[in-house]
Amino acid sequence: MKLAKLNVAVDTHNSSVRILTKFRVSVKSLVFGLTLITVSYLVLVPLLMLLYASVKSTEDKLPFESTVTTLGNYTAVLTNPSMLPIFLNTFLFTAGSLAVGLPLAVLLAWLLERTAIPVRTWIANLILVPMTIPSLLSAIAWIQLLDPRIGLINVVLRSLLGLTSDMGPFDIYTLYGMCFVQGLRLVPSAYLMIAASFRAMDPSLEEQSAMAGQNITRTTMRVTLPIMRPALLAALIYFIIVVMESFDIPGLLGFTARIRVLSTAIYWATHSEVGLPDYGLASALGTIVLAAALLLMWVYQRLTAHQERFATITGKGYRPRQVSLGVWTVPATALCVVYVFVAVLLPFVMLLWTSVQPFYSTPSADSLARVSFESYVNIWRESGVMRALWNTTVLALVTSVATILLAVLVSWFVVRRGKQADGLAHYLATVSFLPQCVPSIVIGLAFIFVYVRSPIPIYGTLWIIALAMTTRYLAFSSRATTSALMQVHGELEEASQMAGAPWTRTLRRITMPLLAPAMINVFLWVAVHAMQELSMALMLYNPDTVVVSTMIWNMWQNGRTADASVLGVLLTLLSALLLLAGHLISYLRRGSNS
Amino acid sequence: MISVKDLVKTFPGARGEVRALGGVSFEVGKGELFTLLGPSGCGKTTTLRCIAGLERPLSGEIRINDRVVFNAADRVFIPPEQRHIGMVFQSYAIWPHMTVYQNVAYPLASDVGRKEIDKRVAGILGRLGLSTLVDRLAPNLSGGQQQRVALARALVAQPEMLLLDEPLSNLDAKLREQMRFELKTLQESFKITTVYVTHDQEEALALSDRIGLMHEGTLLEVGSPAELYLHPAHRITADFLGTSNFIPAQVEGVGKQPGDEMLVSTPLGSFVAQCAAEWRVGVPAELFFRPEYVDLLDGTDGAINGPNRGSGIVQRVTFLGNSADVIVRCGELALRVRAHPTRTPAVGKKVCFHVAPSSCIVFPA
Repeated sequence: MKLAKLNVAVDTHNSSVRILTKFRVSVKSLVFGLTLITVSYLVLVPLLMLLYASVKSTEDKLPFESTVTTLGNYTAVLTNPSMLPIFLNTFLFTAGSLAVGLPLAVLLAWLLERTAIPVRTWIANLILVPMTIPSLLSAIAWIQLLDPRIGLINVVLRSLLGLTSDMGPFDIYTLYGMCFVQGLRLVPSAYLMIAASFRAMDPSLEEQSAMAGQNITRTTMRVTLPIMRPALLAALIYFIIVVMESFDIPGLLGFTARIRVLSTAIYWATHSEVGLPDYGLASALGTIVLAAALLLMWVYQRLTAHQERFATITGKGYRPRQVSLGVWTVPATALCVVYVFVAVLLPFVMLLWTSVQPFYSTPSADSLARVSFESYVNIWRESGVMRALWNTTVLALVTSVATILLAVLVSWFVVRRGKQADGLAHYLATVSFLPQCVPSIVIGLAFIFVYVRSPIPIYGTLWIIALAMTTRYLAFSSRATTSALMQVHGELEEASQMAGAPWTRTLRRITMPLLAPAMINVFLWVAVHAMQELSMALMLYNPDTVVVSTMIWNMWQNGRTADASVLGVLLTLLSALLLLAGHLISYLRRGSNS
Repeated sequence: MISVKDLVKTFPGARGEVRALGGVSFEVGKGELFTLLGPSGCGKTTTLRCIAGLERPLSGEIRINDRVVFNAADRVFIPPEQRHIGMVFQSYAIWPHMTVYQNVAYPLASDVGRKEIDKRVAGILGRLGLSTLVDRLAPNLSGGQQQRVALARALVAQPEMLLLDEPLSNLDAKLREQMRFELKTLQESFKITTVYVTHDQEEALALSDRIGLMHEGTLLEVGSPAELYLHPAHRITADFLGTSNFIPAQVEGVGKQPGDEMLVSTPLGSFVAQCAAEWRVGVPAELFFRPEYVDLLDGTDGAINGPNRGSGIVQRVTFLGNSADVIVRCGELALRVRAHPTRTPAVGKKVCFHVAPSSCIVFPA
């Protein structure tokens, strides 16, 4: 890397050229160097520390205090019989959740994108609503619906079917229950991904099959699905990684069910109820998850790279042909409506209901009379709630601002420096995307290792959580700003250079304003995720830096269901307000530009 | 004044470095409009971007008004923002989030003072007929208006020189012709040294004081439009500018002094041609003349006597509006002839033709 360049003084009068011996660093090179260092530091150092910790014997000690290098942690993980169920559960949980979520998402995407189903806009929007609800809260809502003893659905079913037992028929505290809740949780984002592929498909390929006299079923089976196969396969692999790293739902349900998967096992290894934290075990588990995720991500990248070569997926803005469903219209519409009712409205209404009840009770005439907003008033008396809300707000703002700034710089160098082919731009792109396959819980763990003894005194402060989240969300954010920057013609920036503007002015006056729409979207995405994030916060918080999500988790662990619901609803409201504000800004900007 | 010396530029390719410029040198005089002409991929835009400072050459030297802005040996590289160059890009690169006023005021340094900026922007917008569009946002401008805004922005800071990168290629045919003359008038009234890049030969011929024809990363030939069109020194130049007839030939006789005429034999008969280079008798060569310098004669046998004459059968006549394209079949060869649109021979008819020696040029085969 050439950081310094020769400063050259030019005398225009006698056209002589003097070269000063002093080295001066141009601002652009300096910023590029800093970006490289920051990204490498944020991403690589924690991962190296994780690897280091996983080969250190850590009985009663922190990994750095140990002087013994050993593979004992890995041997323990791979040979200890108590570990086998964890791997088995992770496999079953992942497979089960995908089996619930993906077929549903494909079916909904196909119905809403490719068939002439009525009220499609309404359904398409409602499907996305659960994305604003923290997944922690989804789990709580489904517990209130499907708890074997007091779950609303179970109570109603028991009285309807005349069952005498005070349990069942459903039990959410099982692997099935976990798969069900996690599976439903995947539907909105999987739907978005798959619907986009359906939209991008060239309809003439299907029309060709129709012209050849094939009916709709044969066309779907023999043309549509084969063409979609790479996209579906990519979605499958992407969501394997998502489920593998998910913590909130297996954490909450698996706690009661005593079912552990890899992500929660890492948490419990460091937050043991009985003994000292076993960082060696946790880091060995973390390394294993990381290796698996990296392998999957590699396959995913290869698949999506290949997909771009498919001539069928073009960027044209046509509306594909919509199939008429005939007699199937009613059942198909009914299916969509039932899905929206069960998966979207029911949990949300249940949460609201619980939060306005003084104690948990099944909805009835009596309990309707007891509805009060007292809990919403009382919650403020709870010590720490104000602090948690404040911390959450600060965390969301700091993380999103830091992430977006870093992402813009990363993508600028990746896109505009890419043609210099010295490999640095490629390195930056790769390293900044790496956190995409590092599970949040592993990032949290690795950050403990980096900062517990670091001369940078941020351990135990809010900043360490913000830094961990910035690292994690850099992957998504830099990808988003990179694709936005690729839409900005390079000549727009060059025109600013030719107009005499130095690099910083070009960045401030031309690049950033042109990227503003993408930046607002990324800002909102990061802010909402940072607000709702649980696993990194849980690994890194202390009583001073409690945030809303960790507070809900603690309330739940202590059996304070109603308070957890109230706080959850408040968190959802906060996220919704933020999103609303964001949309308003985008709307006003668009209005002022036309 | 600009001087470009031995410019070499390589780009990283799939298999090692690809040479985009292999030693390009030329000079542009003060107030001159110099055009770099050539097919796409010939290096003309790369040369322009090297002058602008948007690309850093591997070796060579660039001076603008005697200021060295790039010199590889002395490691001098003045960044583009310090070169005082105005540039119009192919896409115009009008910033879509700014109004016309903001776009044009951008190059003016803030230390000029608000009043002075207003005055200068109003002045340049007035000269370009944009005064009514001051508060318009870029996406609401037509192609021609965007082009003028780009020009105003390039000229407002009174740069030392102007670079134009295919500025007319995004306009429709009618507007292109109109802007071509406007551009020329404007350049002359500003008396600004200009380097113009285009692949459109008509544009180059109409606008330029001098043209540099580029081919595969080298500057093949430099000259005035008339010189290049009428007396090309290279077959590639002759082929690229206008339409051409190339006839296989053999040198039969050469004059004693340079400037004398020469004699070649061809399947059409013998031709007297200009002699621009050293030739030896018996060497295989190629005779070149343009379709518009072929005179069609009435098809009497007597007309074919003497040099620079031939005959053939009219194979096809294509009506083009202001002229007609006639293909004359002469044995193995098909000759293109430009004829008056109302005086075209009938297809199948035998015709004789004549080409003046001053219009005939011989190239090495």
